[in-house]
Amino acid sequence: MLKRCISAEWMKLRDSHIWMILMILPIISVLIGSVNFYMNQGVLKKEWYSLWSQVGLFYGEFFFPILIAICCAYMWRLEHHNKNWNMIMTAPVPTTSIFLSKLIVVGILMIAVQIFFFILFFLGGKLAGITADLPRELAGWLLRGWIAALSISSLQLALSMHIRSFATPIGIGLCATFIGLGMYVAHLGLFFPHSLLTIGMGVLSQTSLSFSESLLFIIMNLLYIAVICTGAIYRMSRSDVVA
Amino acid sequence: MKAVRLELYKLRHKHLFFMVILILLVEIGWAFMATSMSISRNPDNAGWESLIAMLSAMNGLFLPILTAICVSRICDMEHKGNTWKLLLTVSVRRSSLYAAKYAVASIVMLVACLLQVIAITTFGIMNGFEQPVTLFLLARFIIGTALTTMIIIALQQWVSMAVKNQAFALSIGMIGGFIGMAADLLPTGVRRILVWSYYTGLSPITQSYTSEKMQFIVRDMSSLLPMMMVLIGAGIGIYLVGSIHVSRQEV
Repeated sequence: MLKRCISAEWMKLRDSHIWMILMILPIISVLIGSVNFYMNQGVLKKEWYSLWSQVGLFYGEFFFPILIAICCAYMWRLEHHNKNWNMIMTAPVPTTSIFLSKLIVVGILMIAVQIFFFILFFLGGKLAGITADLPRELAGWLLRGWIAALSISSLQLALSMHIRSFATPIGIGLCATFIGLGMYVAHLGLFFPHSLLTIGMGVLSQTSLSFSESLLFIIMNLLYIAVICTGAIYRMSRSDVVA
Repeated sequence: MKAVRLELYKLRHKHLFFMVILILLVEIGWAFMATSMSISRNPDNAGWESLIAMLSAMNGLFLPILTAICVSRICDMEHKGNTWKLLLTVSVRRSSLYAAKYAVASIVMLVACLLQVIAITTFGIMNGFEQPVTLFLLARFIIGTALTTMIIIALQQWVSMAVKNQAFALSIGMIGGFIGMAADLLPTGVRRILVWSYYTGLSPITQSYTSEKMQFIVRDMSSLLPMMMVLIGAGIGIYLVGSIHVSRQEV
């Protein structure tokens, strides 16, 4: 059933042009970050690491979470239209499959965004004249960024499911990015999904996580995903819908 | 006027003001925290100039996104409720509806700008700034912020009303926030044509680094006036094009 729900979600995304939204932001982030890196090469001497600090900061800290929020709000947009909540809740489909299929589709889209971001980062670095090898931490940054993106996605999906407005969950997501930054600065990063993205993508500190830190990072993300998904699915199955 | 009142009536249960205040609180809290840290590191920064410069920079990131959210909520309720046909059958001109929605969005955002000024003044007084409250600087700050916001509202409203899918409008808001934040890094020629860069561009205070020390310089008002005139013209142009385009669209 989950597989069918996933293909239904894909069909809903057909002709949505969401890919344009998913592509444009990494392009702008890398463009501005690379130009800034190129203009200030006298100060930014750590090649790929310096480029990551320029490109990754705005992308990972502010715009990737908002991109996730927009994507998640879009996933529930159709359900909030017309009488679609009644239709989806009367369909012989478990609520778990409905929610998880949306999370999986967002997860796949986020993989695509991360890969696209990596390609742009690589091209940006090469065009800026970096000759060194790619940093070995890069794969970890991108993978952990994706794992943290799943935590944020489950939170945003839960918000967008509950709130009928398209824009309100995105506004809450904007506030959450700053709360996450504050939590990271206060060394409480593990206790907030948005701070986990900052830690995972190494946007403020380009150091690699140790094995135990990585393990804790993954456990915290899984915990967030499990708790948020369970709460959202429970709510969906128990509370009445407003169509 | 009646249309504006009705738009406000439609918003009564939408908690729009609450959401705007919530996002503003995060922005103001962040800006004040950064200013407090800067003052504790260098007590010379305890002045209105640094505070206004900090908030102008933060506005570049926050206000485009906040404006996009606010305008999207005001326009999307007609798409979502499928009420366009209903509204047009009560013989309301679409241009009047467009104007009413623009007016309401402007009112909400002007309240947000005013709240910022009140917050700046309160923060300055509470931190015992030696200089008296500089009303002239604050007035220039609010004019620059409000003017830029009103042009962004015109742009966002056009997109939010013309394209049903609000993801596009909010993405433009997000890109605007990005440009607003990175505006000072862009070349002057590029900055001039991007409306989101005017949060810092029209700020009464500019920052400059001389001998590794940050200095806050009060901009000459006369240098900003021609820019403001061009912006007002561009704003009116965007509004009219948006209004005409939306009025001619098929419902």
